[in-house]
Amino acid sequence: MELFDTATVLTRVMTSGVVMSIEKSDRELPGLERLLTKRTGRAHAVLVNSRSAAVHAALAGQGIGHGDTVSVPELSPKDAAFLAWLGVEVADEPGPAAFEHIALDAGRAHLLDEQARALRAPALVVDLTGLGFGPAAALLTDDRTVWARAERLKIFGAYDLRTMWTQEESETDLIPGVQFNYRLSPLVAACARMALSQAVRPLTTGAPS
Amino acid sequence: MITDFPSAPLPLPSAEEVASELAALGGEALIPKELRRTLFPVITKEDVFNLMLSQRRAPEKVVADFAEAYRSYVGAAYALPTASGTSSLHLALVGAGVQPGDEVIVPAFTFIATAQAVVAAHAIPVFVDIDPRTYCMDPAAAAAAVTDRTRAIMPVHVHGLPADVPALRALADKHGIALVEDASHAHSARIGDRVAGSFGDAAGQSLMADKNFPLGGEGGIAFFATEEAHSRAAEYTVRHGIDYGMSWVAAAFGHSQLERLPYYDEIRARNSRLIADTLNSTGLFRAPYVPEGHVHAYNMYRITLLPEAVGLGDLPVWAVKEAVHELLVAEGVPAREWQNTPIPCHLPFTHRAGFGNGYPFTLNPGAVRDHRPEDFPATLAMLDSTLVLCRELRSPVEYERALRYADAFTKVARRPDAIRKLVEAGDYRRPYEKAARLG
Repeated sequence: MELFDTATVLTRVMTSGVVMSIEKSDRELPGLERLLTKRTGRAHAVLVNSRSAAVHAALAGQGIGHGDTVSVPELSPKDAAFLAWLGVEVADEPGPAAFEHIALDAGRAHLLDEQARALRAPALVVDLTGLGFGPAAALLTDDRTVWARAERLKIFGAYDLRTMWTQEESETDLIPGVQFNYRLSPLVAACARMALSQAVRPLTTGAPS
Repeated sequence: MITDFPSAPLPLPSAEEVASELAALGGEALIPKELRRTLFPVITKEDVFNLMLSQRRAPEKVVADFAEAYRSYVGAAYALPTASGTSSLHLALVGAGVQPGDEVIVPAFTFIATAQAVVAAHAIPVFVDIDPRTYCMDPAAAAAAVTDRTRAIMPVHVHGLPADVPALRALADKHGIALVEDASHAHSARIGDRVAGSFGDAAGQSLMADKNFPLGGEGGIAFFATEEAHSRAAEYTVRHGIDYGMSWVAAAFGHSQLERLPYYDEIRARNSRLIADTLNSTGLFRAPYVPEGHVHAYNMYRITLLPEAVGLGDLPVWAVKEAVHELLVAEGVPAREWQNTPIPCHLPFTHRAGFGNGYPFTLNPGAVRDHRPEDFPATLAMLDSTLVLCRELRSPVEYERALRYADAFTKVARRPDAIRKLVEAGDYRRPYEKAARLG
């Protein structure tokens, strides 16, 4: 993304005065969520502050926790270490993937749509860190329960960022046992949204085959 | 253009308005609805310019320079910038040597992140009551909770008032365990010349944009007294594949904010004095207690109600509190309960599912307790009898707004008859009998 565009986005958000994810009037996080769901065809997006947070959300969203075993093809050493820290074992035998992942950077942001549509796991981890605005990621899913649990994981079990101050709800199994602050900054979200909005397929040369 | 610039100024205070009918009973509110928005944080041209410049620098350098500048301000030996206050607390515990299954003593009154950070470290939070005047961890209660498996004591500098660090330090030294601060409310808070975050073997601190010292959204920082502790925490994230890094966007915003922090501190201290002078003259209200030699940062301002002072001593204090709360909110003062239930009685610590299948609680079943709210009488007494202002004393709260808040307390305190009527007509419950609130 051009520096001028980044400067414009950051200035716009700071002029609004809304730089906190817990502000009711924040529009940047919902804006990025809408873009991601539209591009990928997934029904729900959970924005978080890092790739490992998105992996955690993908597993916790499916009710997978300490002592459980999952199948994750092509697991990186870093993700494997993180799963071990969570106490989640990786099956030796191949099986349906618990999650799949996409890592985006400035040169690959235009590939989000087609990559996401080619993947079938119930939870899709999209690492946005490579876009250049700091650690950022998203969990995408079609499953409302996965989304609901992941949203609660990232903000101390609360219902959502705008009504975050009570844990009371009818479905107590949605409340995670261990809870984190995995919230993403609206400033970072605004920059990521602009970068994804501007992502275009590079021009190619040569005769069509 | 969407802007946070105020749409209109508040009118100057007026004695006639203070003497007028309560807003809840049909009078005019002291702060009109359209003028109630509390702006925070202050965002200036310096913040914008600094972010512009930071775009041209290496992101890791922006974060490292911010962390070094703030470490120097706090006076801690080592610092590790993080993505959130919770992650900073987690790494502070790890740096202090907390291992899976260890017990960590925490106060029953705090934000839930304090206890969740202990679980994140695969350790067991052991809850103790608070001091009835400071609302921070009671050293005697902490002493009674120490066992052979205790690895750390983690006091919280509640609302910005430093805990009784000398007593807790002595306790930790006596047992050879670590003192880890939760300084998330306590930016610039001091005991003597030392700043919160530099007292303990390690400390964690939230820097989210709702704190006295705000970064650009979310952030935190862990402090360590030794290089060994710092290295242990840094290595831990790498070994376990945990991404706790701070965004350069948040850090750049914080760098320019840091230069204005002393100004913000003075504004908060001034506004706190102004409100305290008024509260202490009303009879019904009492300002926060600050021990000699402590500097309160006033991230929040917890006000005690004294119903007996205005002839309401026969009524339950929690009912008086709730009625007063209603009257204050009607006047345009955004007073809050900020917590209503001891943390060990929140769902995660009654169900104790942890990371799944009860881990890490299963590592040390002897440390686990099924608590009732009554186990923490000082916490309950505080929850029953206090109300909280949050952003309402911070810059850029205008002087006339602070005066109007003070006038609202005066106006409500003059009407014990209205408070009694509300209590007698209302169906009020004790705070912890309602759904547990995070804040």
